[in-house]
Amino acid sequence: MSKQDLLSIMPLFILTSAAILILFSISIKRNHKVIFGITIFSLLADFIFLSVVKTPVSWIVEPLFVFDGFGKFNLGLLLLTALSLAMLSYAYFEQREERKEEYYILLILATLGACTLTISKHFISLFLGLEILSVSLYSMIAYLRKRERSDEGGIKYLIIAACSSAFLLFGMALIYYVTGSMEFASIGVYLSALHELPIIMIAGFGFLIVGIGFKLGIVPFHMWTADVYEGAPLPVTSFLATVSKGGVVALLVRFYTQVNGHQHDSIVGTFTVLVIASMFVGNFLALQQQNVKRLLAYSSISHLGYILVAFIAGGQLGLEAVSFYLVAYFITTVGAFGILTYLSDKDRDAELLVDFKGLFWRRPWTATSFSAMLLSLAGIPLTAGFVGKFYIVAAGVSSSTWLLVTMLIVNSAIGLFYYIRIIAIMCEKEHIEVQTQVELTPSIYLISGFSVAVLTIALLWVGVFPDELIALIQSMLNP
Amino acid sequence: MTTIPAEYGLVLASVLFMLGLISLLIRRNIVFMLISVEIMLNAAGLAFIVAGAKWSQPDGQVMFLFILTMAAAEVSVGLALILQIYHQLKTLNSDEASKMKG
Repeated sequence: MSKQDLLSIMPLFILTSAAILILFSISIKRNHKVIFGITIFSLLADFIFLSVVKTPVSWIVEPLFVFDGFGKFNLGLLLLTALSLAMLSYAYFEQREERKEEYYILLILATLGACTLTISKHFISLFLGLEILSVSLYSMIAYLRKRERSDEGGIKYLIIAACSSAFLLFGMALIYYVTGSMEFASIGVYLSALHELPIIMIAGFGFLIVGIGFKLGIVPFHMWTADVYEGAPLPVTSFLATVSKGGVVALLVRFYTQVNGHQHDSIVGTFTVLVIASMFVGNFLALQQQNVKRLLAYSSISHLGYILVAFIAGGQLGLEAVSFYLVAYFITTVGAFGILTYLSDKDRDAELLVDFKGLFWRRPWTATSFSAMLLSLAGIPLTAGFVGKFYIVAAGVSSSTWLLVTMLIVNSAIGLFYYIRIIAIMCEKEHIEVQTQVELTPSIYLISGFSVAVLTIALLWVGVFPDELIALIQSMLNP
Repeated sequence: MTTIPAEYGLVLASVLFMLGLISLLIRRNIVFMLISVEIMLNAAGLAFIVAGAKWSQPDGQVMFLFILTMAAAEVSVGLALILQIYHQLKTLNSDEASKMKG
């Protein structure tokens, strides 16, 4: 292993050693503040290392990893998201009775898994990354043991995720059986020599799509999403919606481009059907929800659909649109869940629509930034979500996938309704019986308040001046 | 001595996988559901070994070792969760334990 190899996989090393360090420091003394400090410091140090240390444009660590601009961009994005989630978690877990230190180990390990996914170019690293991510998530979802719904969410996720892993593995085995290689690039080389896919290969890709579909929560593999989102603690819910899905999206993009998925009509057709179904089902189910967590769960299904529109459009513009939309979606989702965290109290999460009644009159600032998040999810101009959607439409138009673009626009209109409904509820005047409800927020929420404020500013900044982010993405993706 | 064709191994693995999937869908006891998932994972492992043997590469067996390790990690978390659920709800029936309807 050369020095450059070692330098390239250093970000993963830092995360691993941070997890071990926390393990040791817990065994010496349990102190929430210290553990929190180590977590923040290591994630920040990792990000700084990634952005400061000069590495070649593209470096391959044979046979498992590839470090190119796309991988590095997503790595940095995932690390920053994990950082903001850790900051939001502090106040949330500080209030809970249970042992809270181990949560940070799981958070770091899950981030490690997602980071491994973004840079993998081989089935083995794909599998390892996915499993590090999933196994950490099982315990994170069921972390608050005293809550009735958390165990249920945990076991549901465990059974579904293990089943989808089995599908994924079987698909990989079939592809390996035909091609004799587990590397994405050599599979692509094998496929480009063929005009028609052999039947075992089609079966293999089918199994692979089922497995990936479960992890991404796209229709028709979305059944688990709402229940798991509802059962999990709020920071974990936002982790599920952002880091875990972002890692899998990055992996999917890399796999798809390396095996030249565009050339095979059966694969493109399957994805088109799945994407359209995700957008419609996600939005229509979100319309009927009374619980904000479940509403955001269904809206995340449709957002995954939007991202995959750009992914199917493909090409350089499609890749840029995926990266940009991921950034916009991460900022918005972490922010929205962050505000729910901010409003939660000791016993339960602020998740019912009733909790938001008259929020504008009680806490104007929180309500304003929550509205900004919701408008960005809906894709209203001057927010990051709008620019992201615009980018996706541009990518779709340039590759003339008209059907998908039309569906995306129709769905944005449907989505607008339920986001605006929450804002309308926040504007309603409070009735007397609602006022007797206990005020939800104690004062240790300073860090959460700070991170929510930063996220809101970032959201508006990206929405009003998107040029800098676009320039950054372009310079990372086409060096 | 005649060797067994690789297709036979693949058919066996697919049958095993389907059995696991069917049993996952019809069983209502959470412990049995976990066992069904294990069967599916091992079927995938068998398929890897068959594929590795076909190309006479060690990669298939390496992958099987990874699958085995991961399945063990998964079961340990799963059994802990099942204990917790039984402790709280006094049932292992997945329909009765399911409070959230999604």
